[in-house]
Amino acid sequence: MALLEIKGLNTGYGDLRILRDISMEVNEGEIVALLGSNGAGKSTLMRTIVGLQRTWSGEVGMGGKSITNASSGTIVKSGISIVPEGRRLFAGMTVAENLEMGAYCNRKDIKHRIDKIFQDFPRLYERRNHLAGDLSGGEQQMCAVGRALMNEPRVLLIDEFSLGLAPTVVDALTEVVYEINRRGVSILIVEQDVQMVLEISSRAYVMEVGAITLSGDSKELLGNSKIKEAYLGLE
Amino acid sequence: MKAGKGILFAVFVLTLIALPSLVSGYWLRVLTQTFLFASIATGSNIIIGYTGYPAFGNIAFFGVGAYVTGVLSTKYGMSFISTLPFCALSGIVLAILLGIPILRLKGHYFAIATVGVMETFRELIDNMTELTGGGMGLTLPIMKLGPESIYKYFYYAMLLCMLFALLLSYIVSKIKLGYALRAIKVDEDAASVMGINTPLYKTIAWALSASVVGLSGGIYAYWISYIDPNTVFVGAYSVKMFAMILLGGAGTVFGPLIGAFVLELISEVVWSKFIAIHGMVLGLLIILIILFIPKGLFETFKGGFSFKKLLSNLKENSL
Repeated sequence: MALLEIKGLNTGYGDLRILRDISMEVNEGEIVALLGSNGAGKSTLMRTIVGLQRTWSGEVGMGGKSITNASSGTIVKSGISIVPEGRRLFAGMTVAENLEMGAYCNRKDIKHRIDKIFQDFPRLYERRNHLAGDLSGGEQQMCAVGRALMNEPRVLLIDEFSLGLAPTVVDALTEVVYEINRRGVSILIVEQDVQMVLEISSRAYVMEVGAITLSGDSKELLGNSKIKEAYLGLE
Repeated sequence: MKAGKGILFAVFVLTLIALPSLVSGYWLRVLTQTFLFASIATGSNIIIGYTGYPAFGNIAFFGVGAYVTGVLSTKYGMSFISTLPFCALSGIVLAILLGIPILRLKGHYFAIATVGVMETFRELIDNMTELTGGGMGLTLPIMKLGPESIYKYFYYAMLLCMLFALLLSYIVSKIKLGYALRAIKVDEDAASVMGINTPLYKTIAWALSASVVGLSGGIYAYWISYIDPNTVFVGAYSVKMFAMILLGGAGTVFGPLIGAFVLELISEVVWSKFIAIHGMVLGLLIILIILFIPKGLFETFKGGFSFKKLLSNLKENSL
């Protein structure tokens, strides 16, 4: 069953149309990859889903309810969290405070949930009283993932998952993403490392100049000649 | 608040309460003026320091508040005290109405827009001659008390206003709203995806801030007993307010208060001898603050005074 459903979505900045008739869905328990070169509109799509960008036309639905142009509070409460591109942590706040901010709309059992995050990321526990701005890139990404999980989302959006991170850190974080998914959280992930993301996801969409041009099973896409040529540099 | 700080603050307040029977009328006036600026700076800090929106023209609410008291007491015969809720209300209503369009702007653009707001109100009031007396100004009723008692009366009124501003600022810093404002200051988009209704919270912050500034305007008008557009919509007050907030520390509860006391008392003791270059000294001070103590006195010297910190700040800034 489609949990997050996007139908005929159009949006843009000013007069400039960025997204053209985007339709896609994320089903319960899936990891879905979103691929595309720079400027394809992946981040704009993410921004539109979380309500930072207004839709011109089309529908965004979550769990059967429309969240098109809903307030950010409504969207967060519907069970969508995002790990934004570049992490966007609250630099002047401590790690623990950042996690608390993630539970802004839902403060029930907040202590318990923070403990759960610290179990997933022991490193964050060690650094809990440090300012988020002082963390290393990998720790910041952990904190951003933890912050997003504090909302107990049903769909987790991850924008530019591995950008600027060391390969070992990426491996460790990938494990966590798997683990989160095993607990039943659906994941929509934007990632430049096409090989890696096609391996961890079950389905994928490919965007080009604001439209979805290709979609399907990740394993099949890995063998697709167009993907090989455009993103993997293989002939 | 830690116990030590709490005691220090209690001593500070008790001293201020006891002072009128100890010092001359001149010093009472100086202190009343200091409380006035401490109120303005503390109130404005909610939008400027907490939320990160440089409302440079916040003095607009001061002017409007002054005229609300002026008009209500002269044209409608209301007593001084009964006009004050309307001063605060005028700030709240205007900040909400203006906030909806203007709070979409950020940084310098927002600052410039608020200056525009201030100039607009000055012109409006200047031209509403029938109601406000326009350029001729407005003379408010003088209280039927001896001059000594009047000084004391406004000393305590302004002191209460300042304490109200502090209380409001303290509460805001402690509740959910305060956390939302801090998040908005650091990264508004990130705050929004946490589910924070950023337009609403920014508007609330500005309205709270405007209520304090409006209230202090109302008290000022009755104290000074004659107002005209050029004495209440003063651009220089904006500069002073900003210098105080920066000096004490933007975003802290007590910073603006400390900034106001340091700046007002210094200016009274030292600069009053150099009237002609008063503005220049203020400008120089702002430059020095930004270079040496960008976080303000309060944050920089929490652990005690040191020259090392001043120098390391300068080095970091020049990068």
